[in-house]
Amino acid sequence: MTIIMKKPLLSAAVLLLAAALCVVSLASDFRSMQEREPIYPGPGVTSVRMLSDWFPGIHGTPGDTEVYILEGKKPGSSMLVLGGTHANEPSGVLAATLLVENAQPEEGTLYVITHTNQTGFTCTDPQEAAPMRFMIDTPAGPRWFRYGSRASNPIYQWPDPEIYVHASSGQQLSGSETRNLNRAYPGRPDGTLTEKIAYAITELIRTEKIAVEVDLHEASPEYPTINAIVAHENAMGLASDSLINMQLEGMEISLEPSPKNLHGLSHREIGDFTDAYALLMETSNPAQGRLRGRTDEHLVVTGQDKFYLKAFGYGRLYVPYDENGHPISQRVARHVTGIAAFANSYTEMNLGGERGGINLGTLPGYEELESDIGPYLCPKA
Amino acid sequence: MQIECIVFFVMLGVFLLGNFLLKLPVSLSMVAGAVAGTLAAGDGIPLRHLFEGTFVYLDTVLIIATAMIFMTVVQESGTLDALAEVIVSRFYKVPAVMLVLLMIIVMFPGMVTGSSTASVLSAGAIVAPILLLMGLPAPTAGAFLAIGAVLGMAAPPVNIPAMLITGGVDMPYIGFEGPLFTLTIGSGVIAALFLGLRHCKNLDYRVIGRELDHETGKKYGLKLYLPLVLLIGLMLACRLFPNVVPTLGMPLIFLISAAVGCFTGRRFPIAASIREAMRTTVPVLGKLMGVGMFIQVMTLTGVRGFIVDSCLGLPAALLYLAICTVMPAFGAVSSYGSASVLGVPFMLALLSTGNQTVIAASLAFIVCMGDLMPPTALAGNYAAQIVKERYSKVLPQCAVPVMVCILMGLAFLLNSGSLGFLVP
Repeated sequence: MTIIMKKPLLSAAVLLLAAALCVVSLASDFRSMQEREPIYPGPGVTSVRMLSDWFPGIHGTPGDTEVYILEGKKPGSSMLVLGGTHANEPSGVLAATLLVENAQPEEGTLYVITHTNQTGFTCTDPQEAAPMRFMIDTPAGPRWFRYGSRASNPIYQWPDPEIYVHASSGQQLSGSETRNLNRAYPGRPDGTLTEKIAYAITELIRTEKIAVEVDLHEASPEYPTINAIVAHENAMGLASDSLINMQLEGMEISLEPSPKNLHGLSHREIGDFTDAYALLMETSNPAQGRLRGRTDEHLVVTGQDKFYLKAFGYGRLYVPYDENGHPISQRVARHVTGIAAFANSYTEMNLGGERGGINLGTLPGYEELESDIGPYLCPKA
Repeated sequence: MQIECIVFFVMLGVFLLGNFLLKLPVSLSMVAGAVAGTLAAGDGIPLRHLFEGTFVYLDTVLIIATAMIFMTVVQESGTLDALAEVIVSRFYKVPAVMLVLLMIIVMFPGMVTGSSTASVLSAGAIVAPILLLMGLPAPTAGAFLAIGAVLGMAAPPVNIPAMLITGGVDMPYIGFEGPLFTLTIGSGVIAALFLGLRHCKNLDYRVIGRELDHETGKKYGLKLYLPLVLLIGLMLACRLFPNVVPTLGMPLIFLISAAVGCFTGRRFPIAASIREAMRTTVPVLGKLMGVGMFIQVMTLTGVRGFIVDSCLGLPAALLYLAICTVMPAFGAVSSYGSASVLGVPFMLALLSTGNQTVIAASLAFIVCMGDLMPPTALAGNYAAQIVKERYSKVLPQCAVPVMVCILMGLAFLLNSGSLGFLVP
C-alpha cells in the first residue's frame, strides 16, 4: 500500500501491465469458444442447408446455423428437432447430433438443428462458472462437445435493455431475457439478432410445412416442469398418445399444457403462429441448478451432486434423485425416445392425412441409450 | 466439516483480513478472498473464472459511471440549487407532506428503471440538499435517500428481482402492481416520517431561506431544468413506447442528459468536474468487480450450492427466518444475484403456501433490501457520498426502516393467501 501511495504512476504502470498480461493469456481461452465441435452427418442426411436460407436477414451473422435434412425413402410429413436452443442444456445438442449421425428415416422428412442458438455456444455465463467443454467417451476415444450460455453472446447483442418487452404480446420480462431465444418466438425480421433467429425458425416451419416441432431442453431438478413434455393445446392429443408409448418403454414422464399467458416460448408461439404441433421436452440437468455444488465437467456428464442428493432427502426436488445422479446418457435417451414416440404417434393417429406419416427408421431404444450413448456418437474419419 | 464450508470460511477470512487488518480496499480484499477460495478448493488460480466473474457487472458499472457524470453536471450547473429553492419555498409549511413527496421523488427513477443506483444518483442528488436544509442530519438524510432508492427499486411497475424470480419459475410478471405498490408506498411513508418528521416539525423559512440559492433559478429560468426533463422523458419514452423509441440504455440516457446540462445553467470546468466525479466513483466500481470474482468462485467451488442447500434444508419456521436474513445479506454480494440464486429456490419452496404472485412480490421486496448491505451497498454508498458522509454512519440510520420493511414483507409472505385480493 505504501508503495502505491508514494509512486502512483509506477503502480499504475505495473497494474496495467499485469492486466494486459492477463488479457493476452486469457484471450486464447475465450477465442477458443468460437471453435465448433465437429458434427459427422450420417447416411440419413440428404442435404445440409443454412438457417439463413429461410430468412436471409441472418446470412453472414453469428446466428446462422446448419440445418440437417434427412429425407425419408417415402414422402410424408415433416418434423423439426431443435437442439441447443440453450447452450447450457447439453442433452438437447447431443440428442440432435445423435439423430443427424444415426437416423435414417423411412417416411417423411426430418429437419434437425443441433445448435439452434449458435451464438450461445461461443460464450459462458458470468458467475455460473461453467466448463467451456465436456467429453463423451466413445469406442473411438473421447469426443468433445461445447458447453455454453443460456443466452445469445452479448458480443453480438448488447446492451440488454432494463426490461425486455416481448414484441407480439407486450409481455415484460427482465432485460437479460432479451437474449433468450426461447422468449423470442415468433421472432421479428427487424428485431434483435435473437428475434431474427426465432423468426428464421418460424419461417422454416411455415415454408417447409413442418408438421411436428420438438424443442429439446433441460432444467434444474428443483424446477417443477421437469422430465416432462410441454405441449401447445393443439398438440395435446399427439403428446398424450406419445406419452403412453414413452411410459411403455419404461420412461417416467409427465405432460404439461403450454401456459397461455407466458409468451415467447416455442411451445406457445410456434403453436399459435404456425400449423405445426409444437412440443417441448425437459430433462433434469443438475449442472444448471442453483443447489449444485462444485461446477465442472464431471457434473455435466454424470449429473451427480451431493447437495441435490440432500435436497431430495428433504423434499425440495420435483424428480427422483439418488447417488447415481442424472447422467447425460439417460437425459439423451429421454429426448431420443420422445422424438421417436412423437413420430410414431403422429403416424399411428394419421395426423398427416394425405401427406403421410413420419417414420424415423430404427433408432436405438431407451435402455440401450441410457446404458451408453458413446457408440452412437463415434467421431468419424 | 464439508470442504465447501471450509472454502467459504477461507474466502471470508481472507477478505476480512485484507480489509480490516491490512486496510486494503474492499475491491482488492474481495479479489484476495476469491483467490484464496480457489487455492483452498484445489483449483489453483483460475484466471478465466476470476476474469469472467467481473463481467456480470459491466452494465452496472456503465450506469454508475454515467450517472455520476450526470449528477455532477446538474450540481455544478445550478439545477439542483434552483429545484431545492422551488420545493422548499412551496412546501415548507407542511413538512410531513413535503417528506412524503420527497420520498416519492427519490423512488421515482427506481420505479421506472428498477435500479436503486439510478434513483439515488439522479433524484437523490435533487432531494439531498432539501433534506439537509430541512434540518435532517447528514447521516439521516443519507438513510432517507438510501431507503427511498431501494423502495423505488422494489416499487412497480419495474421490479427486476421479481422478474428474475418469476423468470426462474416460468411465471408471468403480471399482477405485481398491487402487492408491490402496497408494500413500497406503505414502507415509504413510514420511513419518510420516521426519519424526517422529528427534525423538521417547526421549519423556520427565514432561517433556511438564507441557505437557499434564489438567484440561479431566476437567471437561467426553465431551461435550467432541461437535463432533468430530458432524463425523465427519455426513461419514460423508452419504457412506455418500446416499439417506437429505440432502446437507448441508461448509460446513454444519463450521458445525453448530462451533455445538455453542460449548456443550460452556470458555467463550470466540465473536464475537471467529470474527472473528480470519476475519481470518487472508481472505488465502488472496483468493489463490484471484486464481488463478481467472489461470486464466480463461490459457484465454481460449490460454496454457492452449500449456502442455498443449507437454507432450503431448514424447517419451515427457520426457512422464513433465512428468507428475512440470508436473502438480504446475500445482497452484500448482489441483490440481483440474491433474487436469482436464493429467491428462486425459496419461491419454489413456498409455491403451495398461498397466492404465488403475492409470495413472489414479497420475496422480491425483501431481496431489494440487500442493496443496503455492505460492502457493495450500492444505494447506501452513493447516498452517503451525496450527503458527504461515511456509509458507516448512514447504515445504522437505515436499520429501523429496513427492519420494518422486512417485517412487512414477512407479514405478506405469511398471509399471501388472504392477500390475493391485491392481485387483479
